[in-house]
Amino acid sequence: MTRFRRFLVSDHLAGWTFILPSVVLVGLFGLVPIVWGLILSFQKAGLISPEREWVGFENYARILSDPKARQAAVNTISYTVLFVPISILLALFVAHALNRKIALIRFYRLAVFIPVVTSTIATGIMFLWLLDKNFGLANWLLDRIGVGPFGFFEDPHQAMGALVLMTVWGWLGFDTIIYLAALQGVPQELIEAAAIDGASRWSSFWRITWPMLGPATLLLVVWSTISALQLFDEVFFVTKGGPLGRTSVVVFYVYRLAFEQGLGGLSLAGYAAAIAYVLFLVILVLTLAQFWLGRRVIHYQS
Amino acid sequence: MRKRFFVLLAAFGLMTSACTGGGDDGNTPSESPSGPVTLTFWHGYSDAEADSLKALLDEWNAANPDIQVESLYVNNDKALQKLTVALQGGEPPDITYQYGSSLPQLAEAPGLVDLTDWVKEPDVNWEDFIAGARTAATFDGKVLGLPALIDDLAIVYNKTLFDDAGLDYPSDQWTWDDLRAAAKALTNTADKRFGFAYPMDASEDSVWHYDPLLWQLGGSILNEDESQAAFNSPEGVQALEVLTGMAVDDKSVYLDIQNSAYTEIFNSGRIGMLMTGPWDLSSFPDVDYGVEILPGFDGDHQTIAGPDMWCVFDNGGGRKEAALKFLTWLTAPDQIKKEALATGHLPIRLSVAQDTAFLDDFGATFPGIDVFAENLANVVQARPVLAAYPSISEAMGLAIVSAMLGESEPKAALDEAAAQSNDALALGAG
Amino acid sequence: MSSIAVSTKTAPGPLDPRALAGETGMVERPRRRFLPFDPWHLFLAPLAAVMLLPLVWMVVTSLETLAQTRHFPPILWPGRLQFGNYAEAIHKSAFGTWFWNTTVVTVTIVVSNLIFCSLAAYAFARIRFLGRGVIYFVLLATLMVPLQVVLIPTFLIVKDLGLIDHLGALIVPNLVSVFGIFMLTQFFRTLPIELEEAARIDGASRLTILLRIVVPLSLPALATLAVIQFMWTWNDFLWPLVTILTNQNAFTLQLGLATFQGAHQTTWHLLAAANIMSMLPILVLFLAAQRFFVRGIATQGLKG
Repeated sequence: MTRFRRFLVSDHLAGWTFILPSVVLVGLFGLVPIVWGLILSFQKAGLISPEREWVGFENYARILSDPKARQAAVNTISYTVLFVPISILLALFVAHALNRKIALIRFYRLAVFIPVVTSTIATGIMFLWLLDKNFGLANWLLDRIGVGPFGFFEDPHQAMGALVLMTVWGWLGFDTIIYLAALQGVPQELIEAAAIDGASRWSSFWRITWPMLGPATLLLVVWSTISALQLFDEVFFVTKGGPLGRTSVVVFYVYRLAFEQGLGGLSLAGYAAAIAYVLFLVILVLTLAQFWLGRRVIHYQS
Repeated sequence: MRKRFFVLLAAFGLMTSACTGGGDDGNTPSESPSGPVTLTFWHGYSDAEADSLKALLDEWNAANPDIQVESLYVNNDKALQKLTVALQGGEPPDITYQYGSSLPQLAEAPGLVDLTDWVKEPDVNWEDFIAGARTAATFDGKVLGLPALIDDLAIVYNKTLFDDAGLDYPSDQWTWDDLRAAAKALTNTADKRFGFAYPMDASEDSVWHYDPLLWQLGGSILNEDESQAAFNSPEGVQALEVLTGMAVDDKSVYLDIQNSAYTEIFNSGRIGMLMTGPWDLSSFPDVDYGVEILPGFDGDHQTIAGPDMWCVFDNGGGRKEAALKFLTWLTAPDQIKKEALATGHLPIRLSVAQDTAFLDDFGATFPGIDVFAENLANVVQARPVLAAYPSISEAMGLAIVSAMLGESEPKAALDEAAAQSNDALALGAG
Repeated sequence: MSSIAVSTKTAPGPLDPRALAGETGMVERPRRRFLPFDPWHLFLAPLAAVMLLPLVWMVVTSLETLAQTRHFPPILWPGRLQFGNYAEAIHKSAFGTWFWNTTVVTVTIVVSNLIFCSLAAYAFARIRFLGRGVIYFVLLATLMVPLQVVLIPTFLIVKDLGLIDHLGALIVPNLVSVFGIFMLTQFFRTLPIELEEAARIDGASRLTILLRIVVPLSLPALATLAVIQFMWTWNDFLWPLVTILTNQNAFTLQLGLATFQGAHQTTWHLLAAANIMSMLPILVLFLAAQRFFVRGIATQGLKG
């Protein structure tokens, strides 16, 4: 065997050895479930008991006639439509505010980011307590300025809003950091040149800064949308889908079908899997659409 | 080589012969235990309850060397799941504590022992168990569990608040109008004080607080043959209107949406009356409370119970017989008295619940609990035991909460829930 | 997606004020001072207050008695600080068990991630082997699939492996993260290849190169991965919820805290104390690794 061939062979071997543990683990816990999930969605299956019954597209058809699935879809969409623009625009403004050298700026930046580090349970507890209708600090403060009291999580009409408020609070820091880094990449010379040419602050923002934020914005829109469509922890812990099912989102509904109602032996895991796959397709399509749109709109520096 | 083959064959033979049992209906001829039998016994008792149980188990184990009982703590909320997992692995316990509401699912479990014939034995004294508990352990005409725990709903009230407002305490002659009036008088919105409270998470908790009113008016949840919902009758609507009148019109009800707050709000003196069970009494150390039976309509003060039970699985080898023998002892009047006095659990037998000497001791140890015990005589009905019940409960819960939030009218809400329940009943499953 | 011209190698982290000299993206116009301080403080200070309020309120609640927590109007300062709540929270619940379980699971996952992801990333970045492109693409594709799709099947797999109700259910599926492989591959690619080539010529094995050359140069990226993975695992709720069904000895902190909320009552003061304690490791870790972490998110986020 030539030295060259030996070299090649050892590279293949080395490469495969290095990736083998990862491939096995991801294969087992990443790829297999994806395929299995699809198969499951075509079956009537129990979660604990091994019964399986092939039912074709029946599960998918059931989604259309299931009022709770419809409610979950509507809730998820409303949440996403509220959460994504609010959190991104707010983050942009906050990043702009944080993008300066003044006293305490380090503290301000830290304060904005700390909520990201708290767990959803902790956040849920804090907000449940703060927004308690009768005994919460928020209503007490609002009362002192003559407003409220608000039901927040206890009012079917306000619960979604309160959920948005809580999650925006929790994620603002993350979005802000991305925008802050992007803002800091805007070359000062361009801005100064525009100022010399007499451009106003607003127009220099719109024409110079904003286009350079394109990639960051795209990233945040995609990321926020995907996360928003998959909201679960906060709903499970804080609202349990209520009151009156007004905050039941898709992943929460999937969880209940498979792990609460489906555990005593009732075969709903297949139906839950079907719903999950539909959501997956929605996310996939949306993400691709966003990337495609982004490619056309964003100006990249070469 | 041949030697190894025979050893393997013998081992295989041993293994297969050991895997007997499961799937019978309790009528196979009994096998006499050949040696000491150890029973696996699952329960969800903690703290004082666990101590009392341990004492009883120790007493049994000492007196019965041939039948030893080994206990395992399993959180009650998870008992059904854990059982399902164990059944999958072919290793159910001999005895397990289960919620009464799990009965329809349990009925399908392989190896579950049908107790219908056994309860006819004189030692068991079946009729002595509280009526509602017996019904709740019966599914499709078969007795599938032995009553383990029972409770009931009554009114717990804050005497100090009543005194401050100059109101008379609730009495056993009260009507729901009386309660409504008292609640209104005790409510002070600016001060965040409420006359009454209600669990509003739309779970079964929201439903079973409503059921007594429905039943007192002569209504029922389902019709005679359990094929249609019947709670949207005029009685059902009237019952709900009592609650919505208080919640929406009087605003005298603390609406506990999370269903996790009302006990300590009551304990901090901000709620006048609660409709709750004996398990909450230990959460009110700061309140001078009184207990009274539920108000009634036309002298009917019936209440509702939430019975749980012991289920037995046949694991062969004489264990079923041993388990039944142990349970007979565990649920005998003497043991029930001991347990009640140690834990505050209500006695599961009528004879004990009406034993005045016991009641005196009981009330002395746990203030107010004697009322709950006497109230057991008012437990005459039970909720339907069907596979479709969870769906019915969900529909009713949403209707009740929706109406009490003022989001819908009682009649419309109940009609909607009835329609959904009928769908579930037609399907025959959840 | 082409990468944009953000120079990341020399810029300090975005939280660092030194980054700002001359780089605000805004022109500083001279203005008359009406206030003794920069007017932006009028926005930033309340913002910081709002962002920190829930946390501060939780700390205050954790130092009150139960009666004080239910007081209306809310007590802003409890007077006597009930530090005993912290001890009580530990005693009254299985906090110690939860903390231990979470630590074991998190540390195991972080360590295994660092090892396996580095190995795989190095191979993808530097070794030409059969099927490299395809495998990399397939792995990345799994990132696109949302959690709830794989939730049920992964549960079934873990159940078949007999791991339900054990810490293994939390550890084994997460020993490797595709995100980690992706991030490290990107990073390794940016390292100058000459050092490695020189070592290759000298006859060093791939493994030696990885350990002696690449890893020391990659500490920021590795630290970032470690912190991110630590945070995700420590705060994970859904997966433990689904896999730890009945075995309370295997509860993690998040699961345990969720059960702290009783069926009909919540001991807010203890719950708050327990939460503060469970957040401390993350907060400490975050503050220590802040620069790496934040820079890591920002730079990795902005690259293609």
